Amino acid sequence: MWLRFILGIALVLTLDGQASAYRAYVSNERSNTVSLIDTDAWKVVKTIKVGQRPRGIAYTKDQKYVLVACGDDDTIQMIDTGTNAVADTLPSGPDPEFFTASPDGKFLYVANENDNTVTIIDIARREQVGAVQVGVEPEGMAMSPDGKILINTSETTNMAHFIDPAKREVLASVLVDQRPRFAAFTPDGSELWVSSEVGGTVSVIDPVKRVVKDKIEFAIAGMRSDPIQPVGINITSDGKLAFIALGPANHVAVVDVKSHKVIKYLLVGQRVWHMAFTPDGKYLLAANGVSNDVSVIDVAALKVVNTVQVGELPWGIAMSDH
Amino acid sequence: MKRAGFFFILFVIGSALIAPVRAADTRYPDWPCVQPKVPELSTASMWDGPSIAAVGDGWQNDPKVKDLVELIAARRTPMDAAQKAIAEFITGTADEKQQKAKEVFAGVFDTLSAQRSEVMDGLERVSRKEMDLATKIEADVNNLHALEDKPNADQAKIKTLASEVEWSTRIFEDRRKTIRYVCDVPTTIEQRIFGLARAIKQTLN
Repeated sequence: MWLRFILGIALVLTLDGQASAYRAYVSNERSNTVSLIDTDAWKVVKTIKVGQRPRGIAYTKDQKYVLVACGDDDTIQMIDTGTNAVADTLPSGPDPEFFTASPDGKFLYVANENDNTVTIIDIARREQVGAVQVGVEPEGMAMSPDGKILINTSETTNMAHFIDPAKREVLASVLVDQRPRFAAFTPDGSELWVSSEVGGTVSVIDPVKRVVKDKIEFAIAGMRSDPIQPVGINITSDGKLAFIALGPANHVAVVDVKSHKVIKYLLVGQRVWHMAFTPDGKYLLAANGVSNDVSVIDVAALKVVNTVQVGELPWGIAMSDH
Repeated sequence: MKRAGFFFILFVIGSALIAPVRAADTRYPDWPCVQPKVPELSTASMWDGPSIAAVGDGWQNDPKVKDLVELIAARRTPMDAAQKAIAEFITGTADEKQQKAKEVFAGVFDTLSAQRSEVMDGLERVSRKEMDLATKIEADVNNLHALEDKPNADQAKIKTLASEVEWSTRIFEDRRKTIRYVCDVPTTIEQRIFGLARAIKQTLN
């Protein structure tokens, strides 16, 4: 009886411990690996060997795979999240860098950096089903919350292209500042935010009128403007706060989404690139390419609370949803 | 020397000249690296601790701070040994700790920034030498070409000049490899400053 009681408590404690632990997969561009971080222990529990130059990384909707774009191998590898080994590949087209999925998780839209193309892949069939010609050096990819508009940014053409994913054609292109890297919709879909790495700004676009309605600029006391290079954008699920990774400025800017005003700058690691929230929204993880680590930001406290060493040149992060 | 030989040399030089002479940023025409040139580092990108503006070079007045900075800035000192030395030195009351931390960080930043500038100046110096050598090789190859085209070509002269071109090309290639390797050093120094800054800041938490 007592034994059963103790075992019962132990089981509850174990389950409770597991419940808060998510899994974050970090692509390491130079070491050709993916680091698996346990968000309970805040440490790397496994390092997975992948193809060459892994950058874009995301879970499939069913959480069975983590997809990682291996640019120098011209393929997207599928890591089985049960075995944590590469199990299959997707025909991504040349030099895949970044991708996004349709809301139902069936299709993948891939930016082919050296081919001025967005390739469309049927994930279940592992087949290319179409392609859309876009500007030079396509990079950022985002899907509107209703799944009707696909956004691609082209680094050299300096545009955000509005694509109809059903018709597979470009509907409109909006000029932004130099070298647009990343695009994100606010959760309600009312605004599209596009970061410009060289321009040093984030353009706020009205997705209905398809015009830039505001530009967010950044200034860090004691720092020249040239290292301030915005890349990753992550907006909280309540749509209140946006976090902007400022690249070699080694800071993440916290922006009030409603007013577009910067509230705070957080010193993270060197060359901060892409980020991911834990599903409970408590933490934001940021990949730091030069210091080879991941910073853990406490979202409520707006403070860096931990640092996890990963592989060389960490680029992106995929977070499990449970 | 046969014409095919010339073309081979021209090919080697042609392919060698492209990489180091190409400057990605027009502001820094002598900068030979793929990595963008960032002439100066700012403390703000490394440090969010108490302001070091008032410290200046005052950190040099305390021999203990000076010794510690020398030890932890040196690449031969492993990072965990540096972290340990920092933690052992930055102790005392909250005020004392703040003062020590500011001085140590100012020392690390000054010392390693100066080293970084030296490396970067060196890279540009070697890059300029490479460009001069490239010009010389190009002229020598043209001369060689002209000599060979003469009806009564002086074979001895051709041989000497050809051998000179070969040597210059070899030196050019060796330097190019060295440049590529040294281009990583400024980043390595930045990583060191950042890692040390983090360790110093941690003693204040």
